[in-house]
Amino acid sequence: MTSHINRRVFLGTSALAAIAAGTSLGFPSALAQGTPKKGGVLIATWGGFEPQAVFVPGGGGSSPLISSTKILEPLLRQDSQAGFLPVLATEVKPSADFKSYDIVLRKGVTWHDGKPFTADDVVFSIEKYWLQTIAKAALKNLSGAEVTEGGVRVSFKEPTPEFFFKSVLATSLVIPKHVYDGSEIVTNPANNAPIGTGPFKFKQWVRGSHIEYAANHKYWDAGKPYLNGLVMRYWRDAASRTAALEADELQLGIFNPIPTPDIDRLSKSGKFVASTDGYLGAAWASTIEFNSRRDVVKDPAVRRALLTAIDRATISDVVYFGRAKPGTSFVSSTNPKFYNPNLPRYEFDAKKAAKMLDDAGYPKKGKSRFKVHLLAAGWFEENGKVGQFVKQNLEDIGVEVTLTVPDRATSLKQIYGDYDYDIALSNYAARVELVPQQTDYLSTSGIVKGAAFRNATGYSNPEVDDIVAKMSVESDEAKRKDLAFKLQEIAARDLPITVLVELIPTTMMSKKVKGVGNRADISADSLSDAWLDV
Amino acid sequence: MKRSIVRRLFQIISLIIGVIVMNFTLIQMAPGSLLDIMTSEQQVTDPATLQHLKQLYGLDQPAIVQLLRYTWSVFSFDLGYSYRQNAPVFDIIIAQLPSTLLLMLTSLGVAVTLGMIAGVIASVKVNTAWDVVISLAAVFFFAAPTFWLGIMLIIFFAVHLDWLPVGGMTTIGGQFGPAGHVLDVIRHLILPALSLGLFYAAIYTRVMRASMLEVFSLDFVRTARAKGLSKTRVILAHVFRNALLPVVTLFGLQLGTVLGGSVVIEAVFSWPGIGSLMLDSVMSRNYPVVLGVFVLSAVVVAVANLLVDLAYYRLDPRIRSR
Repeated sequence: MTSHINRRVFLGTSALAAIAAGTSLGFPSALAQGTPKKGGVLIATWGGFEPQAVFVPGGGGSSPLISSTKILEPLLRQDSQAGFLPVLATEVKPSADFKSYDIVLRKGVTWHDGKPFTADDVVFSIEKYWLQTIAKAALKNLSGAEVTEGGVRVSFKEPTPEFFFKSVLATSLVIPKHVYDGSEIVTNPANNAPIGTGPFKFKQWVRGSHIEYAANHKYWDAGKPYLNGLVMRYWRDAASRTAALEADELQLGIFNPIPTPDIDRLSKSGKFVASTDGYLGAAWASTIEFNSRRDVVKDPAVRRALLTAIDRATISDVVYFGRAKPGTSFVSSTNPKFYNPNLPRYEFDAKKAAKMLDDAGYPKKGKSRFKVHLLAAGWFEENGKVGQFVKQNLEDIGVEVTLTVPDRATSLKQIYGDYDYDIALSNYAARVELVPQQTDYLSTSGIVKGAAFRNATGYSNPEVDDIVAKMSVESDEAKRKDLAFKLQEIAARDLPITVLVELIPTTMMSKKVKGVGNRADISADSLSDAWLDV
Repeated sequence: MKRSIVRRLFQIISLIIGVIVMNFTLIQMAPGSLLDIMTSEQQVTDPATLQHLKQLYGLDQPAIVQLLRYTWSVFSFDLGYSYRQNAPVFDIIIAQLPSTLLLMLTSLGVAVTLGMIAGVIASVKVNTAWDVVISLAAVFFFAAPTFWLGIMLIIFFAVHLDWLPVGGMTTIGGQFGPAGHVLDVIRHLILPALSLGLFYAAIYTRVMRASMLEVFSLDFVRTARAKGLSKTRVILAHVFRNALLPVVTLFGLQLGTVLGGSVVIEAVFSWPGIGSLMLDSVMSRNYPVVLGVFVLSAVVVAVANLLVDLAYYRLDPRIRSR
């Protein structure tokens, strides 16, 4: 994958638990083997390009997420069991009515410039940063944040579900008030050389090449980080990353760093480990979206027929070399809290699909039934190939297809600005919590012309809106789950958007890299536990 | 000569205006804008924030006003501000342009040196085994894609032999002192300069060979031989010098194309040049950076061509007298 889009970003980072056993391709989840050794410099990379700035306050996609989270930290983080672990907060306690939360802050934490970390920093981050930029939608019920004796109290107008709020905390970075106060956060020069509380300090950025980090010897988690330093290097060419791994000039590559055929070759050499652990907080999927404003595809019966005509198993095997699997719901099957496994499946069956179209009132007239404009969004190279498969599948049942694969900016404009498509092939990276990011794809309030990665299909259903509204304020976990199940049933029936195939992102690393497991989102991990076994 | 330099300066200024107008128009015509990219990356959906950003980026004004403002600022030596990179455009480009120039000049140096030597040998030993081998090699390096050649060189010299680094421009965290630093950069430069240089060397070889053969057949060469000059002296003083003009012309022309060709090599070797910056900026419709790169490259190419013209004066007195 050569590009990166930014669904996860409104919460800055994404986090959540990996069902390691379910998604791992033969990689043991126990990563903390042996006693950590101190020292060494870890050279890491990822499958995309260098970031536009080391820290992009608005999110900015995977690359700045990776580069900033070594320096800046959230209040909580999530492990691969969906549990929340303390970072800058030691405790987050809801009130009985779930209308306020008391956040107890860690003591003895200092910023990299030596100033103490205080509750003021957290209040500033919430009010001036999260509310303005990254978590505007998520925190729309917020009524105030105030400094208390042990930390910060956050109050809401409506009950706010605990899992939801903790997800926000686990994915929103805390920034220093003394650096950002009174300035435009988006253009602050500190974004290119961030000051944080994390295990690594910013050292140097050589644009076009790498970012260098030094260990923070005053890190609050005594004894960590184990590494002396960290380097994030950027290669634009995936084959060069393979060569760098083989030459030991690179030890850790997250998020599909090398060409897929190389993954097996390197794993077999015994010197490298391929892991699929650490992507639950960003469950990547390739999606199919039907434009409800367009004549033929606004009919759910047609959508069901078209989905039945698509051979998703072959797409997974051929386009993604087996590192993907057919989707079964709008929610990722790796989601441990909300995934509904009992939904109607649209297994590939061309004959059945043809019959479904006949029944829906679109029999073949001459050679074709109708024409559609299929748009494969240009954020990933694979999308164009998926487009070719889908086009072939649909033409087999007599649907005429015009396939376009525009570049990134054009795709954004056509899908989210002009709604100029019948069927769109796109992607998203979802967290476990569905509100508001994933629900925005289905709800009426998610329709915002020109706003990317939300409801572009124009699908509007009062029943869905009602469920989403309830999910936002329901504090009972079991009831939230029921609501989520119901939501998926409706999505599977009406199919405004669904997962075409679920992607299985891979981390490639040298065998001597240890301590990078048990994370919901490896991209957002600070690497404080990473060490080199040399 | 002075007059022609002044004339050249005027040409450079009009060239820059041309580059700005043309590229600005092309970017305006491409669908999608920086605003689309930035808001999608940052998940901005609030209409008020959208409007604020539009004003911040200066995208609320008509295109012609944006163009005039930009052109004016370029001639007051200001290339604008890149919101995507959160830094002035000049700073961003100047951080990466020198490494591209270094790579470009080294690989052209490799190309000219290798190409001329090979071309001279091939022409002197025309229709012998030497000529055949050199010509075959030239065809091979001309036809082989530079990225493929780059990766093959990496696999052989960096992965298998472990003689040279896989990529980058310096050893990260290395402390060598000034002289050590230069050596370190040279070590990193060898493979990318070779990958890029061999491709161009192939062209120089062909041109040099043809040009030499042509001069060999001229009357004054026969005269020189008849005077009883040594073979080496005939080749170097008479033929080589006269065969050099087409190569110099080609050199000037290629300064521009090498800048483009280095995009691929920079990607393969993670060379911190402006190639990837340019690519990213086009993809994100970040026109201040795109235009900035083009303006600075245009200046570099124009100045280089000016130097090439000066070289003409030295090489061929007839041009001086014109």
